[in-house]
Amino acid sequence: MKISSIISITLHAIRLLLSLFALWLSFGWKVRRARKAFEKELVKAGMAKKEAKRLSAWYSKLKDDIIQAVKSSTFKWH
Amino acid sequence: MAEEKKRKEEKEDVEELREVLSVVSKEVPALIKGIIASVFSEEAGRDMGRAAAAFYKELKEAGMPEDVAVKMTEGYISTFTSLGEVMKRAVGGKKGIESKELEKEISKRIKEKLAEKGLAEKEKAEESEEDED
Repeated sequence: MKISSIISITLHAIRLLLSLFALWLSFGWKVRRARKAFEKELVKAGMAKKEAKRLSAWYSKLKDDIIQAVKSSTFKWH
Repeated sequence: MAEEKKRKEEKEDVEELREVLSVVSKEVPALIKGIIASVFSEEAGRDMGRAAAAFYKELKEAGMPEDVAVKMTEGYISTFTSLGEVMKRAVGGKKGIESKELEKEISKRIKEKLAEKGLAEKEKAEESEEDED
């Protein structure tokens, strides 16, 4: 009973870590797609592509901020 | 008897941990996925882009120069950017520093007040001594 519980705990922990890793991997791709869609709308409204790219840079900044915040909070708990 | 009780408690703890982890491993990734999707998805990016584009278009139609319109749109977008700052604070990135600064400031003010009070009391004592003389 105890051994099966421990095995179950390990499997759940591995599952959690794998899900988080998959999320981390897909995060960059999602940011890129959101950024492109954002730029496209601005260009449609008549904004220069260069300016639209500059404005959409906040997406990358937000992504970096979030990753930084998560990293710092993780190290803080340890 | 006591050992048996201890073993039973340990067993219950392991069972509890197993149940907690089974829920956490399902719910936490789904929750994070939802939060990420609300800001970082093609749909969300398009919506935000539409909002910024409408703002920019209105400014241009009102006769605003190109550079001013872009700058104002940048300011408009920066309200979204502050979300990162909010997150940083929520997670506690700056909180620690701020609380330490606050602590320092409070102790400084208290010391100042005590010093003032000490001086005032000293002056009072000197005055009363002079009156007695």
